[in-house]
Amino acid sequence: MSMLRTIKPKNARVKRALKEREPQVVENEKTAIFVRGQSTSDIVRNVMKDLYALKQPHAINFSRKNDIHPFEDTASLEFFSNKNDASLFVTGLHSKKRPHNLVFTRMFDGRVLDMLELGVEGFKGMGDFDSPKSSVGIRPLMIFHSDLFDTHSKYQLIKSFLLDFYNGHALSEIPLIGGIEHVISITAGPLPQDHDENTDKNLPKVHFRVYTVKLLASGSKVPKLQLTEMGPSIDFAVRRVQDADEEMLKMALKRPKIAKSDVESGLGKKKKNIETDSMGDKVGKLHLERQDLSKMQGRKMKGLKVRKERPSAEEMQVDDEE
Amino acid sequence: MDVAKELADYAAANTTAVLDRPNPIITDAGLLAAFDNTPVDAYEYGSNLNTHLLALTLTSTQALISSLFTLPTKSSSSGPITLLPAPSTLLPREKPLPKPKPLTKWERFAKEKGISHMKKEKHVWDDEKQEWVARWGKDGKNKEKEGQWLTEIKAGEEADQDPSSTARSDRKARIAKNQKQQAANIAAAANHSSDATAISSRGGGSTLSQEQKKNLRERRKEELKRSMILSKTSTASLGKYDKAIKDEPKVKGLKRKFEPTVTNKNDFKGEKEHALDVLHKLETGVGKVKKSKKGGEGDEGGLNVRKAVRFQGKVDRASGGGASAGKKGKRK
Repeated sequence: MSMLRTIKPKNARVKRALKEREPQVVENEKTAIFVRGQSTSDIVRNVMKDLYALKQPHAINFSRKNDIHPFEDTASLEFFSNKNDASLFVTGLHSKKRPHNLVFTRMFDGRVLDMLELGVEGFKGMGDFDSPKSSVGIRPLMIFHSDLFDTHSKYQLIKSFLLDFYNGHALSEIPLIGGIEHVISITAGPLPQDHDENTDKNLPKVHFRVYTVKLLASGSKVPKLQLTEMGPSIDFAVRRVQDADEEMLKMALKRPKIAKSDVESGLGKKKKNIETDSMGDKVGKLHLERQDLSKMQGRKMKGLKVRKERPSAEEMQVDDEE
Repeated sequence: MDVAKELADYAAANTTAVLDRPNPIITDAGLLAAFDNTPVDAYEYGSNLNTHLLALTLTSTQALISSLFTLPTKSSSSGPITLLPAPSTLLPREKPLPKPKPLTKWERFAKEKGISHMKKEKHVWDDEKQEWVARWGKDGKNKEKEGQWLTEIKAGEEADQDPSSTARSDRKARIAKNQKQQAANIAAAANHSSDATAISSRGGGSTLSQEQKKNLRERRKEELKRSMILSKTSTASLGKYDKAIKDEPKVKGLKRKFEPTVTNKNDFKGEKEHALDVLHKLETGVGKVKKSKKGGEGDEGGLNVRKAVRFQGKVDRASGGGASAGKKGKRK
């Protein structure tokens, strides 16, 4: 039984907010929630902080500890998802058996779709790299290196998850010159010789690297690149995986039939005039008509009031020279 | 001070050299992603991991950038904007596709007649005042008649009337009518969706055939009749002395049949058959599962009122109890 009460809108603003949460033909960007388990380690907390910074502004950080074990009980995750209208979760845990654990969860229709557990084995935070960082809200480019991401089911899930996390919402247009600032590169190590297919032990690590991109002028239209490591630099070990239910996945992958007229009229295109500036604030422009300053009421300053010329003023002239 | 190493590191970090890849790099411009599907070189991976990763990234990013810069662009006030294609990798949605809402009564009519929707502006030009007046709201034109100090009466009308109050009551009546129509639309939509789910849960398609619609209507009719009968007989005198309402469904009670206690002297055949029947049933078990007569319905229609009332009471308690138990729920 859900703990959430159904809200009946009492004014237009609440009604609009509720309408945005309803299922839509073209969806808005997925929000991610970063939540801590009962016990966390310093490393896990720092990793979550960096991943949260990369996901801004569509991310929520829960700073309190919650008694969550995603692989056993998903009820609290579902509650958070419904309350905050978020469908991506990163749970940070730490135990002796699974040190520095991160559990990525995806939701569909208010229920858990699939889960992925990664362990942090090497970490260098964004603060440790002395280099300029990308602005908040800019889309990263994403690169995946390794054939495993195409062949092995666990790695396919990792690819799907990370793509969905950072670039899931497909944009229709971007300005290339100012709109590309960084690239996230994910590489899986080579498959070792002693790899056992049945037990899936000794799986190669997944390396997560982020670089800032500098576009250099080249002779042709396509610029040359220069990469500088921006951080974070994380090495993940692949642990447990919970695959999605077939039926649910089928429903989730259904594509809407959008008529061409709808696309042209701007269905799903980003709202014009709303932008996120470098501080992460939402800004928009107000366009006003030309204002007639002579008719405007400014501040009144009594001393500057223009008085009428009194005839006696001339007679009251004082001779300064003495 | 040996700066050679620093210079070498700097050069390595800021290289623009691109590696050769045996397989072409697959790019998904819609998602700003590129996939390099060659296995990672184990030697390079083992010896200098980070520089190798940098080199790999450089190669793939170059490929992605070159594909992005060849896409069509459109110009805008802040420079050229690239139009991205649709993504080729399928990623799952977060919510299911929205179900199409059933059309309201007016929408159906407008669709049939081909009436398109004209958007009305909030302000209307008032020739008399020579200014823009709001159509509705604070000093809206719709309240003009209520505020006039002078109203002309037509020749045939009575002199004794309050035009402002009649205008106000007319406006209020229009509002009430509109709200009633809205409620009716919502109810129709809810009914539609519940019928649709009932049908689909039985394994039918999402569209209802004529026959299915007819069955639904019949069932609904029966349900309504039953509830009317139940409410009628739920008085102390079982509705015998109530005022009869026109067109009320007549209660057709079930006739209980009793075997006569004293049978004919020579006719024991009926009794014998009955007893043997019982034995037979005990031996072989009851065959087909008969349709549940929980609601008090008889095989040929008619209604056992006592059973019906008990059944309805049970249903009410189950649903009412379930809803109130839900409120308490799990608290943390």
